[in-house]
Amino acid sequence: MALPANVYKDLEDIVGSRNISGDPAVLDSYRYSLAHTAIHLGPFFDTFTPRGACVLLPGSTEEVRAIVELCNKHKIKFKASSTFWSAQGFPSEDDTIQLDMRRMDRILDIDKKNMFAVIEPGVIGATLQAEVMKVGLNTHIPGSGCSCSTLASATSYFGSGPSNLYGGWHYDNLLGLEWVMPTGEILRTGSLGQGCGWFCGEGPGPSMKGVARGFLGSKGSMGVYTKCAIKLFAWPGPECLPVEGTIPAYRTPLPDNFKAYTVAFPSWKAWADAAYAIWDAGIGYLAHRQFNMFGRDLKFAMVKILTDPTKTLSDLEELLADPEVQEITEQSKREFQIILVGMTKRDIEWQKKAFDEILERTGGWKVEAMDEPHIHDWVLLYMIRLGHKNLNLVFGGGYDGCFGLLGAADYGASNAEEAALFKKKWEKRGAIVDAGGDCMMGPIGGQGGGGTCLWENFTCFDSADRESTEGTFEFFDACTRFGLEKGWGVGMEKWNAVARGPDGKTTSKKKRDTIHLGSPQPSVFRYQHRVREAFNPNDLGDAYYETLDDT
Amino acid sequence: MALEDFALETDRCSQCSYCKWIPFDQMKSWRFAKNCPSVSYNNFNSYSARGRYAVSRSLIKKQIPYTDTVRHIVFSCMTCGSCDVSCKICRYNLYPLEMVRELKFKLVEDGQDLDEHRAVIESLKKEQNTMMQPKAVRGKWAEDLDVPRLFSQKAEILFHAGCRLSYDTEIQSSAVAAVQILQKAGLDVGIMGEREICCGGRIYSMGYRDEFARFAGENIAAWEKAGVKTVVTSCADGYHAFKRLYPEFGSRVEVLHTVELLHRLIMAKKLEFHSEVPMTVTYHDPCHLGRQGEPYVPWNGVEKKIKNQIIVYEPERPRYNGAFGVYDPPREILERIPGVRFLEMERIREYSWCCGAGGGVREAYPEYSGWTAAERIAEAKATGAEALVSACPWCERNFMDAVGDDSMKVFDIIDLVKLAM
Ligand SMILES: Cc1cc2nc3c(=O)[nH]c(=O)nc-3n(C[C@H](O)[C@H](O)[C@H](O)COP(=O)(O)OP(=O)(O)OC[C@H]3O[C@@H](n4cnc5c(N)ncnc54)[C@H](O)[C@@H]3O)c2cc1C
Repeated sequence: MALPANVYKDLEDIVGSRNISGDPAVLDSYRYSLAHTAIHLGPFFDTFTPRGACVLLPGSTEEVRAIVELCNKHKIKFKASSTFWSAQGFPSEDDTIQLDMRRMDRILDIDKKNMFAVIEPGVIGATLQAEVMKVGLNTHIPGSGCSCSTLASATSYFGSGPSNLYGGWHYDNLLGLEWVMPTGEILRTGSLGQGCGWFCGEGPGPSMKGVARGFLGSKGSMGVYTKCAIKLFAWPGPECLPVEGTIPAYRTPLPDNFKAYTVAFPSWKAWADAAYAIWDAGIGYLAHRQFNMFGRDLKFAMVKILTDPTKTLSDLEELLADPEVQEITEQSKREFQIILVGMTKRDIEWQKKAFDEILERTGGWKVEAMDEPHIHDWVLLYMIRLGHKNLNLVFGGGYDGCFGLLGAADYGASNAEEAALFKKKWEKRGAIVDAGGDCMMGPIGGQGGGGTCLWENFTCFDSADRESTEGTFEFFDACTRFGLEKGWGVGMEKWNAVARGPDGKTTSKKKRDTIHLGSPQPSVFRYQHRVREAFNPNDLGDAYYETLDDT
Repeated sequence: MALEDFALETDRCSQCSYCKWIPFDQMKSWRFAKNCPSVSYNNFNSYSARGRYAVSRSLIKKQIPYTDTVRHIVFSCMTCGSCDVSCKICRYNLYPLEMVRELKFKLVEDGQDLDEHRAVIESLKKEQNTMMQPKAVRGKWAEDLDVPRLFSQKAEILFHAGCRLSYDTEIQSSAVAAVQILQKAGLDVGIMGEREICCGGRIYSMGYRDEFARFAGENIAAWEKAGVKTVVTSCADGYHAFKRLYPEFGSRVEVLHTVELLHRLIMAKKLEFHSEVPMTVTYHDPCHLGRQGEPYVPWNGVEKKIKNQIIVYEPERPRYNGAFGVYDPPREILERIPGVRFLEMERIREYSWCCGAGGGVREAYPEYSGWTAAERIAEAKATGAEALVSACPWCERNFMDAVGDDSMKVFDIIDLVKLAM
């Protein structure tokens, strides 16, 4: 359904004729294929999110407010997104007005002394990082990589990644927030609301952060966030990353206070013990099980390809047949990457010593092949900037994660082998990439010690091949059944399915209620229901804001 | 190829939006982080490679009609190829630049081309140039040059001036200078003069594949007849057409950009600088010399899968991600010119920002084309340079038009070489 002409005209008056479109070609570029990267949703071959009623490119908070008020007046659903990568940024109801926030992309302030930046939605991890490095600071970049909106992940979704360890998840880092609430009123949270600046996300008085953000983020269903302050952390490196090498094998040679290691362990228990010891020692800047996303069998061969600009995926089989590659692949079965960064020379020396001792105690070892200078400096750049995240989809354009065992290090570690074996059996059927079963990757801990690990088992498929997508979907169903059987709960392969079904549209209420009632803490969703009633009386979002009626 | 051949790619694009940014690893600031003029100016997703994949899919599936917006989306692409470079940071089985070219071809074949482009084509058919000028005066730029005309005389090297330098009187001195420098270095060089015809590169990037093929055929035949072994040009568009596109039509000549040849001569000490050129300069990489200037690799293969679902090609397919374009020769020349202080911009080499003249945009959307050039000039200024140097007359012209009464000077690199000799 096209918007009524008078509504379209009113919207055009708000944003200007250059910043509104109802053309089907434009609208189709704001739909999401649930086949190619469902991000915990599908895959569903040939399924797209519904076409929007129109797309708007607002340029200011005032414009956003006027749009939201108009939507309330006409009871039209709206959804804002900033960088449009994951499924939850796209409407799941027909006739939704889509707000593309990319024009609001300014870094409004970098407060060096108080270590935060004030940003608009269109600011991405990479631009923010490049700017704050100039004043000796760094920003956390979630695992989705530096192409994603920092504000979106801080306000509206998960926000976990390699720098959890030192930089905190993005929900930790969210300070003052400017929120155009679903009614169109503007709320400023934390210290900002009291006219005291952006430095604090909570209080004074009852905190509104939880209300504004919701459980795991409000995912575009509760108004529009127009500005936020994000906490930064120390960067004891150069003002600008020095980059060498030939594309795509760029690398950064950093001073001696930076050291990247790939370390492997004789058992999963040793792996987990090392993770705990790292937290106890308070060392490390970034830590992720990263390159295992290519799969236990393929990872080192893939590193060889990615660090050599003359190689392509066509070289993979030859590399896999190379005994040296096989040997390194074998020694790095249970591995992770860690980057130690010293604030001073003494600090890095101490961290290195502490780390060596951890390896000695746990029987772990450094994978020397990953210490070759050109690979070492490539790992540094990869992990610090996180600008190659689309490698998730390198093989056939389709990827999604399954299981995602979330918890303390030994929870995932003690179940990893079983999850890997399960996947390995399915790989033999042919629908998904045969990568060795264990393609689990994720962060080694959260901020402040004793944090959580996540074990997302990457599943890669060809999004343009019906058999591959359908086979993957069958596999995901099997994962869910297996996870329930093992007591792991429903895995991340179904996270978004709570909100959106195989047709790309909102899951039926009955199904949602069943899922929410079966969750460990249904009261969270009951509470959100109350919040939605109070803050979004016309219900102009979608079911990504998860609620459960009292009845 | 046909647009339908990209159907699988339209489903395999991961919608990551890398196509909107320079490679993230290379980002040095917020201000100069974007790569694609089209989506930077128009903002809607549909103006990026990601969006054009979506538009292609909708057209293939007949889910959208042709509208003015569709034409605008397709023809706003400068085919500068920056999306292709950024996409291929992570993807080994997507070819966004080829896709968008195919999209243009399809619109042209379906009669959906723009009036502004049609006018160029009509004139080209008659006058054999894209400047809408009479062919009779094409050789005028070289009137005073004592150089063999290769339709009647012989030489090993052909200097192809190209449409812009043949007709743009304000900048064509660099063509004259190029020939003089090559002659001075003792090379056996000639020109086609008034018989020279368009390379076809610009109309190819507007979507006129058939017209391009005709010009390629005619040029190749003329070169064969003249016994030319090497074709040299100062025009990046022409260079790309001759080097990367003509081999498909049977061309076997060596193709060099003037900067490559000058660089060789300087390295061999056959060309020396004697004068100071006291100037702080920065260098703009033309898209067709830089990221699109990689050597041609013949390929005629098929897609296959390994490890169940990993998409590869049999035989290995050339990657063309800008890794091996022509970047160092112009820089090394500038660094050798006495008095020149050379400063780099933020977006350089394979991730250079386009000048705004390509893909038929200059002809169809002058305001947007000028904005694109102005963006680059702002970047050049941010370095502290007083002059912006390039190696393509289309870049030079677009910058000159956008500079206005601004203080930034604009040069072709050959102008500086000439000054230094
Ligand atoms: C390949 C891939 C890998 C991922 N890996 C991780 C990971 O490791 N860790 C992790 O935490 N997450 C991960 N994610 C999910 C991730 O958090 C988000 O996708 C990402 O951080 C935000 O980027 P985006 O482009 O999806 O944002 P957007 O499309 O901008 O939106 C993300 C959500 O925020 C909402 N939103 C955006 N802007 C606004 C606004 N201004 N006002 C109101 N709502 C808004 C959108 O509606 C959407 O629901 C991954 C996603 C993908 C596609």
